[in-house]
Amino acid sequence: MLSYIIRRLLLMIVTLFGVSVAIFLLLRIVPGNIADILFDSAGLIDPAEKQKIIVDLGLDKSLPVQYGQWIFGLFRGDLGYSYVSEKPVIDEILPRIPITARLAGLALLFAVCSGVPLGVISAVRQNTWLDYGLRILSLSGLSMPSFWLGLLILMAFVHYFGTIPIYERQPATYWAWIQMLVIPAAAVGFRSSALIMRLTRSSMLEVLRQDYVRTARSKGLSEGAVTFDHALRNAVLPVITTIGVETAFLMGGLIVTETVFNIPGVARFLVEAIRWRDYPMVQNLVMFIALVVVVVNLIVDLAYMLVDPRIRYGQ
Amino acid sequence: MSARVDTAIERPGNGVLHDIAYLARRYPLGVGGAVIMLVFVFAAVFADWVAPLDPFTTNPRASLAPPSGVHLMGADMMGRDVFSRMIHGARISLAVALGATFLGSGFGAALGLASGYVGGWFDLLVQRLAEVMQSLPLLVMALVITASLGPSLPNTIIAIAIPLIPNVARVIRSNVLSLREMPFVEAAKATGMSEWRVAIIHVMPNTLAPLIVLATAQLGSTILTEASLSFLGLGVPEPWPSWGRMLSESAAEYVRTAPWLVIFPGLAISLVVFGTNLLGDALRDALDPRERD
Amino acid sequence: MAFVARLMLACLLILCAGLDAARAQKQGGVLRVTHRDNPPSTSIHEEATISTDMPFMSVFNNLVVFDPDSKQNRLDAIVPDLATSWKYSDDDRTLTFQLRDGVKWHDGKPFTSADVKCTWDMVTGKVDGKMRKNPRKTWWFNVKEITTNGPLEVAFHLNDPQPSLLVMLAGGFSPVYPCHVPAAQMRTHPIGTGPFKFVEFKQNESIRLERNPDYWKPGRPYLDAIEYDIIANRSTAILALVAGKFDLTLTGEVTPELVKDVKAQVPQMQCLVQPSNTQGNLLVNRERPPFDNARIRRAMALAIDRKAFSDILSRGVYNIGGAMLAPPEGIWGWSPEFMATVPGYGADVEKSREEGRQIMRGLGYGPDKMLPLKVSTRNIADYRDAAVILIDHLKTVFIQAELETLDSAVWYARLVRKDYSVGMNVQGTGIDDPDVMLFENYLCGSERNYTAYCNPELEKLFHQQSMMKDQEARRKLVWEIDRKLQEDGARPVVYQSQGGTCWWPYVKGLKLAVNSIYNHWRFEDVWLDR
Repeated sequence: MLSYIIRRLLLMIVTLFGVSVAIFLLLRIVPGNIADILFDSAGLIDPAEKQKIIVDLGLDKSLPVQYGQWIFGLFRGDLGYSYVSEKPVIDEILPRIPITARLAGLALLFAVCSGVPLGVISAVRQNTWLDYGLRILSLSGLSMPSFWLGLLILMAFVHYFGTIPIYERQPATYWAWIQMLVIPAAAVGFRSSALIMRLTRSSMLEVLRQDYVRTARSKGLSEGAVTFDHALRNAVLPVITTIGVETAFLMGGLIVTETVFNIPGVARFLVEAIRWRDYPMVQNLVMFIALVVVVVNLIVDLAYMLVDPRIRYGQ
Repeated sequence: MSARVDTAIERPGNGVLHDIAYLARRYPLGVGGAVIMLVFVFAAVFADWVAPLDPFTTNPRASLAPPSGVHLMGADMMGRDVFSRMIHGARISLAVALGATFLGSGFGAALGLASGYVGGWFDLLVQRLAEVMQSLPLLVMALVITASLGPSLPNTIIAIAIPLIPNVARVIRSNVLSLREMPFVEAAKATGMSEWRVAIIHVMPNTLAPLIVLATAQLGSTILTEASLSFLGLGVPEPWPSWGRMLSESAAEYVRTAPWLVIFPGLAISLVVFGTNLLGDALRDALDPRERD
Repeated sequence: MAFVARLMLACLLILCAGLDAARAQKQGGVLRVTHRDNPPSTSIHEEATISTDMPFMSVFNNLVVFDPDSKQNRLDAIVPDLATSWKYSDDDRTLTFQLRDGVKWHDGKPFTSADVKCTWDMVTGKVDGKMRKNPRKTWWFNVKEITTNGPLEVAFHLNDPQPSLLVMLAGGFSPVYPCHVPAAQMRTHPIGTGPFKFVEFKQNESIRLERNPDYWKPGRPYLDAIEYDIIANRSTAILALVAGKFDLTLTGEVTPELVKDVKAQVPQMQCLVQPSNTQGNLLVNRERPPFDNARIRRAMALAIDRKAFSDILSRGVYNIGGAMLAPPEGIWGWSPEFMATVPGYGADVEKSREEGRQIMRGLGYGPDKMLPLKVSTRNIADYRDAAVILIDHLKTVFIQAELETLDSAVWYARLVRKDYSVGMNVQGTGIDDPDVMLFENYLCGSERNYTAYCNPELEKLFHQQSMMKDQEARRKLVWEIDRKLQEDGARPVVYQSQGGTCWWPYVKGLKLAVNSIYNHWRFEDVWLDR
């Protein structure tokens, strides 16, 4: 177990190193740099001024030197300065992380709370109209563009309540805070919920066919007790799987949802930073996201081992 | 072990009609999905004949016209017929979905096959690369790739295809690894067949089923990714009637003034992705014995 | 009878105005404004976008400002700001300002003539002010030197007489910067003398300004704070405004179509649709085939139906005109009668297009042999929409164009490299004045002269109109210059955009001008009647 974790941690470092090289190079391939963007907003280009900016930001140095500066800065805990705001990157990123984290957390909560029970119901009532209805619902969840869903929700809100749930910087109470984020969380979590529902259903079906369930039933345990007992135990795996699969994918949904609901989180910020060619910002943000993804994946794998003793890792 | 593929064909009775009736009973949702896909493909292929109007011609008088007999789904700001654009848009979506899926699955399968078969340092390298790509958010990668290649249809396809590769490669690789240990492969090797021939004749066909399942499952997500890219201002450029782009432009402006511009493209995207998902489910049920009831 | 009625109406209006003034303005409250995108920086002198100008203008003062009560920004409606009075020398080559005493910067340091000199030494490029960029250097082409005489007197020395200098000084893009604050800080935390102090700018999120309690104008401002929230999706922004989460929109952001919708939902909402000081025009690369051929250039010009652009993009709200903003909002644009005499502006588009087809047939093109072409534009909705219409129009003269959308990061670089055939361009102009428009865009070698149009003969007229004191005669000359620019196809102007600004009726004291969106955002007179 311990050697497995150590091996995974070493692999994580290799992966993160790969990510750093990949994003560094990808960004340099993208045409145009911050100097172009700055002049774009001014509507003109003065070659001398542009050259000065490039030199000031060190963009004239060779790629290995630029990469080295970034990575060694990272090791010293220095993430550099944003090209756009000219403030430390850490000060720009840190306040935004909790916002996105909360949204993602709420979305996952929503996904679990709706996906698991519906999946169980669907499995128990297999091949009934209820099952078909729920399967269609879960498939729609996987089929709708999340920003479209978000927009539809906004439109409905305006139509029925005359107001919309968009971000406010200082929500008065904790309850107001929940209210504000719950709609976007549902919009972005609908997809994960659908996924959990499907996985719960299929793993439930598998279990319901197992011998020991038949035995339990034949022993006279009520249908409800059997289902509930096994439902809970079997819901865990799909949830873990979904979290593992969805962390990277959730980011995509978060980007568009944060845009539609105007939530000032990291996800939307990343898109803006790419648009501005704000290298320090993009590089560090992507590294952060990659770190989250690999750590979550590691935790998911470890959780698998704990939950399902049949799974063993090693060489 | 080739029974894996055969399970789909194992059915009673003869004749096409009979088959369809059988399939419809067994996979009603899957047939529903197939019908949606057929309509979609038909619209895409015969767009020039099906579309009542030219999708590019602007008309000041029809600007933001609501749905009517002339414009079934209304007209956009430029007075272009939305219905005709939707039909031509099917072509774009189909091109993106098929193109990206083929490209991504093809490369992924080849890499997975090679990495599972060759093993050693090559396998390690591919695995590390796949890990690197999988820890980058899909949309972010597509964003950066379209930004560097510039917005166009082929570039959008490439941008969406690349992030698909690692997933496919991993699935195929693990499949190959388990297949290699199978008795029939061992037997083939024992007859003196070369490694590559074994790989191509015996191993590859058996990875087809999971590949098809995976690819169908990804058809839908490629369409969704294109929509998201367009929503963020990248993706297939104007004046091509990409559904994602139509939706993104109207989402920014006409949510209230011309809701049909928001509803129809979104509906089309959802419906087609829905269709691919239904079809994908049925295919998986049919091809993957573990999932069968 | 009609006269009596009018007289009574006038009396009533005056009475009402009196009553309005008598009703005390309320102190306090936070004005919440929607913002469309992330301002590139907080430094007005370094930027040329409303995204920076509108939020940060209220941090500063100018030497002089446009009279807020005048509906039109014009030379004869300029009032004191940091300068209490000004005077031209007898040869009209020196403009001397007397400055206000006792004004303090937000950090407590006193404001003096040295600050004015510093600011203009920097923007004229005489001193390296450490700015990253200086987009309006051409505005000050005529300023030779700035001298101070004691802390409260400053003089602008000019090469030639230039009445319009005051107009440029009065614009929102000409704030006075403090000498003691480095340019880098002005980009992130600006210090001014204005009614509001900068508090915070969160990238892509929000801007917050707070009341300056020591503002030199007693009793002002009324508001406690102004907050801008950056909402990239326009639909979301408008929904939030209608839902009452905001009091005001970023200026020009509400399209004429959306204005109608907003008014339908909230009839009492105040919306003003006015020229946004931006125009759509064509950048034609005369060095690259096929546009090295003057006949093809002409055929293209004949294919354009300007009214269709205006109808499609704005339901006919956009103005049609030349380089200068069309009347009645604009001061320098052609009268409709004059415009009718300019080639390409005739009413009968079909006739023009037939003429265009004739030209193209003569060159061997026809319905079966279309001329292939690439139309380049920025990947921004306003640009794309216009380009799509252009492509559709070009078809009528046998030109089969394909759209090439370019990322903002590449667009200007491509323009500078001359790597395009025809570009659909949308550009803004800070002030409705020929000195700004002509020198910025059409002067040989000017940085914004993307197409490198250069006509020395015409340039003499640029200088001639700049020196003219008689504004009426100057307008006639400007009309002729503008006609020549359009005839030469220097940068064919297709439409002049308009945009709406909406606010709730309880927002009082907001005064906008019809010919500029850049110059009325001091917010010192604005109060909330809630």
